[in-house]
Amino acid sequence: MTEHDHELTVAPMVDEITDFEVLEIAVRELCIEKGIFTAEDHRRFTEFAEQIGPTPAARLVAKAWLDPEFKTLALTDPMTASKEVGVDWLDPTGFGTPSDFCAFHILEDTPTLHHVIVCALCSCYPRPILGNSPEWYRTPNYRRRMVRWPRQVLAEFGLYLPDDVAIRVEDSNQKHRFMAMPLRPKGTDGWEEDQLAEIVTRDCLIGVALPKVGVTTNVITDTRPAVHPLPS
Amino acid sequence: MTTPAERASRLDLVARLKSAYPELPDAPTPELIDHQRYAAYMKTVHDVGGEPDAPIKYENKQYEGWEENTYVTCEVLAWRGIWLSEERRRIGNVDVGRAIYLGLPYYARWLWAAARILVEKHHITSGELSERMAEVQGRYDGGLNGKPLEAKPKCHGDGLQIQRNRHHVDAVGKGDPHIYAGRAGQPKFTVGDQVVVRELPALFYTRTPEYVRGATGEIAKVSYESPAAEDESWDRPDAQPEWFYIVRFNLSQLWLGYTGTSSDTLQTEIPERWLQAAH
Repeated sequence: MTEHDHELTVAPMVDEITDFEVLEIAVRELCIEKGIFTAEDHRRFTEFAEQIGPTPAARLVAKAWLDPEFKTLALTDPMTASKEVGVDWLDPTGFGTPSDFCAFHILEDTPTLHHVIVCALCSCYPRPILGNSPEWYRTPNYRRRMVRWPRQVLAEFGLYLPDDVAIRVEDSNQKHRFMAMPLRPKGTDGWEEDQLAEIVTRDCLIGVALPKVGVTTNVITDTRPAVHPLPS
Repeated sequence: MTTPAERASRLDLVARLKSAYPELPDAPTPELIDHQRYAAYMKTVHDVGGEPDAPIKYENKQYEGWEENTYVTCEVLAWRGIWLSEERRRIGNVDVGRAIYLGLPYYARWLWAAARILVEKHHITSGELSERMAEVQGRYDGGLNGKPLEAKPKCHGDGLQIQRNRHHVDAVGKGDPHIYAGRAGQPKFTVGDQVVVRELPALFYTRTPEYVRGATGEIAKVSYESPAAEDESWDRPDAQPEWFYIVRFNLSQLWLGYTGTSSDTLQTEIPERWLQAAH
């Protein structure tokens, strides 16, 4: 590397606006000035995006564990089941979040079948009920390997499945969005819905972890900080 | 102002960025490109499933303000009928080309796609965008110095003259793909049918992964009716909806040297045009 390259690639000493920020602001300003969308549209969608997360999905699974009728509903009519945990897939536009569509499918694990989701083409993910996908889910690395070496990738998440449990990889690539419904773990007899929902982590719903008594956090907790986060 | 040394140094950096077979010269003559390499160059770059890669540390990430704003801008552009989600996916995940696809952050491609669609569909000019970028850059010359990163639109357009798609109105109250229900006739396949994924050339865009092309699977679910991504990605108003299917493949048959069990499976969703009955 030459000295000149070095000067060009080393982070600047002053806190500069980034290339991404310049383009983002320019695009948004031009859209608002031309009436392509309004500042109010942007604000409303931001409010929607800020309140989505995995809580309703965890609640849905906990309810299904406790109520066989609700479980049947979740597996046969997941849109109606989603409404019972507060998620209307048509929100906030009246035709859904454009990138997530309105075709939701819940994959039921059994003692001999374990589901895991991936989008090898990009990042398809059930955002309305599970929130935005984690960064690792979007990496080419996870997408390349999960469809071909699922047991190795799951092992990297600390999930070792015995040979009598078949793995089913769901490569979510079109308009369907998927979520795993894991098995209720041992040691949870007599638990209330709230207690059960706490152990259904996002990673359990993707299928890279299993619910466990005492575990309420995701497997991957290391987080790269943002340089310029959105002001709260 | 740049110095001659700065200009040369910039070109040195660009010239080291490679996304080509190292054994071939730049712009090779036709006889140097065999079918396999042609197919590799033409492959839609988002289709990475099954490519070899070594383990990495998986991490979460906090999102920067521009990343959150970009996600919202892209969704609002669809909400207000500027593009379909499938147009965004093609522009940001395929049209960018391999170097940008693998080289830039995830939301940098979303942002590129948003800027691109506005220019392509004549909502803004490329010159307008350049001037505005230079202006925004100028507002922060010398560093942020505590100045907030914010959009400062000079006016608020009424948008009445903006050309918008029909989808953002027609789909309200129904959702997508429900809006296409009942338009594809009888599905050709039923659950349990054995099918082969066709090996169609796919020059510009597809969502049928390469790793299942030519493989035999079983229909696991008759999904829904929708235009195929190949048509929807250009928002063709005449696109004919067709049936989609979730197809199940046995992983030990799909992959040479599969290291899991013979009962492991993979499912993916495929439109009817890509499937034929297995004999």
